[in-house]
Amino acid sequence: MIYEHIANFAGKPVKDWEAQSGIQDPEGACYALRLSYEEAEEGRRWADKFAAFLDDPSSSQVSGIVIGDWGLLSSAIDETAAPVVEALVAARDRLPKLRAIFFGDIIGEECEISWIRQSDISPLFTAYPQLEHFCVRGGDGLSLGALKHNRLKSLIIQSGGLGVNVVREVVAADLPELEHLELWLGEENYGGDATVTDLAPILDGGLFPKLKYLGLRDSQITDEIARAVAMAPVVERIRVLDLSLGTLTDEGAAALLDSPAIARLEKLDVHHHFCSEEMTTKLQSLGVEVDASEREKPDIYGDEAWRYVAVGE
Amino acid sequence: MWLSASSDERRDHFVVIGNPGSRRVELFQAALAELRLPAARVVSYLDLLSGKDALPRSVRDGTVVRIESPGKDFEVERALIAAGAGATDGDERFDRVSRQAAQDLRFERGRILYPRQWYLGYCATLRLIELQLAECPPHRSLPRPHPQWMNSPAEIALMFDKVACHQALRSRGAHVAPGLGAVNSFDELVGRMREQNCHRVFVKLASGSSASGVVAYQTDGRRHQATTTVETARQNGELRLYNSRRIRVYRDRREIAELIDALCRNRVHVEQWLPKAGFANRTFDLRVVVIAGRACHAVARLSRSPMTNLHLLNERGDADAVREKVGRAAWAAAMRNCELAMECFPESLYAGIDLLFTPDFRRQAVIEVNAFGDLLPGVFWQGQETYAAELRAMAGARACQRARDFCKGA
Repeated sequence: MIYEHIANFAGKPVKDWEAQSGIQDPEGACYALRLSYEEAEEGRRWADKFAAFLDDPSSSQVSGIVIGDWGLLSSAIDETAAPVVEALVAARDRLPKLRAIFFGDIIGEECEISWIRQSDISPLFTAYPQLEHFCVRGGDGLSLGALKHNRLKSLIIQSGGLGVNVVREVVAADLPELEHLELWLGEENYGGDATVTDLAPILDGGLFPKLKYLGLRDSQITDEIARAVAMAPVVERIRVLDLSLGTLTDEGAAALLDSPAIARLEKLDVHHHFCSEEMTTKLQSLGVEVDASEREKPDIYGDEAWRYVAVGE
Repeated sequence: MWLSASSDERRDHFVVIGNPGSRRVELFQAALAELRLPAARVVSYLDLLSGKDALPRSVRDGTVVRIESPGKDFEVERALIAAGAGATDGDERFDRVSRQAAQDLRFERGRILYPRQWYLGYCATLRLIELQLAECPPHRSLPRPHPQWMNSPAEIALMFDKVACHQALRSRGAHVAPGLGAVNSFDELVGRMREQNCHRVFVKLASGSSASGVVAYQTDGRRHQATTTVETARQNGELRLYNSRRIRVYRDRREIAELIDALCRNRVHVEQWLPKAGFANRTFDLRVVVIAGRACHAVARLSRSPMTNLHLLNERGDADAVREKVGRAAWAAAMRNCELAMECFPESLYAGIDLLFTPDFRRQAVIEVNAFGDLLPGVFWQGQETYAAELRAMAGARACQRARDFCKGA
């Protein structure tokens, strides 16, 4: 579960946009447009808030925006995010400097991640050819379309269960500048049905020539991914491998330890894992920067041990 | 038989009504000892209920009476349910059991037993306490009712009725989570949620304490999810409810309906599930102990689930770090809200108030008032734990009263 709104995005601090305070630092901060519980109670709508933001004289200078709750806490729970995508697309000429979009900074206390109804977000990539950083939260109903973008440096898809259809769209994407790829694969219960085979094109290293960071996070099959990635050509090319928030156990960790390529990374992130204390120590002495914090214990029901990803539901 | 007055008759004298040997009673005695006050005489709930003991035997002029929780003792729970058998209820639709059947109840770990009737029995006991106190000889020099209470029976009864307590808080102007009114079934709940365009609610046993019988329910029309500590088991065609330490998630609408219906048979309070702010990668709320009108001890309760109650093995957060993150103005507003909530209970020296912040600390709301919510060993305010701070506040109030009386007399 995600508990807090993001504090930083695309290397910049995030500030809530409010009509009263306006835009103080259009280039140095990202502005969040979220309908708070209090505003929703007053009957206000996200679309009106966004329109007011666009009317702010400084909005044309804004370089990053964060789209928060668009009304899921109130009226929009059973609606998709398509109108929000449309509003952003319609605002393309008014946000000429926009380089970063976080679409859906919604915490679990506002809406469970798997209950966020996303839609086809491909019009965003066409509308903003200068975009460099894009993050979306929620895999339900999500589609990237035929993604081709010449500037995008980071693509982050956070979900509690990422559908294989989205994974296939990612591997088919043409993103020559992509440096940071982060997929939260989630659990099968919540639609996370991609297998290691589906990820193979990424692991083979033929995609995304500038990739430096690969995150295959929040996965129910972290061990399988670890085994595959340990031997994969992509590891020779990246600097950071992020398998955090998932279900890594000693088995997957052993494969990582055996891989010479892993030992040449700059950083290995496995935080939120299920390794033994002994294995955690081994990982930490790998000689590269390792984040093996948040050692979790499985839930035991009868004879069965259940290991949960950090962000499911 | 009347106990003769002991040798320290003119010194402070305390009586605590509680379960002898319980942690609460022991900690209170320890607080007295630390302040070099004589140990309290303990009057047990069981003896009060059976008539073996009565307050006039222990209480005399100047006695300070403290009512402690009757909880965590099955014999007492059973006796309170039995005491509620004869009580009339304005609303007769709730699950009841005869006095004899109550006395025959067997202990089962975690089982939720007739909470409505328990509440009626507890109210009857609180009234009995009040009546017995009224029989105690009044003190001549003090105009206020005497002996002194640390907490008042009538107000404890109000705090234990979440529906009435919520109404009292609202009419006092305290910020609370909006209520959805009384519901008697899952279908009614769903209808009410639709009417009010609300798709996240907390359903709580109206007279439950802690996280007993609490369900966090949400729906988007096509999906349903109930997060709860309540487990259900069917036995001889009867649905039994158990509190567990494990958080369970039900996603089957029929199962959820069955669970909510079962809770409704024991009277529930429903309020909006306000989104809670996060801290240190957890959701959190605050337990604030208000003593003599002032917000004193505070502890942040961090959780990975919508339930933040400490006994569910959740973590305590560093209150100072939380205070810093919340910001001075929002924190001060929250403390004022707790103090305002406590104005509903002018005869109570203290209570533990649970309070949440909405995301980004925009607003806060009182979610519970716990009559016995001051059990926070290891949490200090101005160098004192809760029980000691209460005694100090009490001593201060008594000194003021004596000074006022002295002036009047002069």
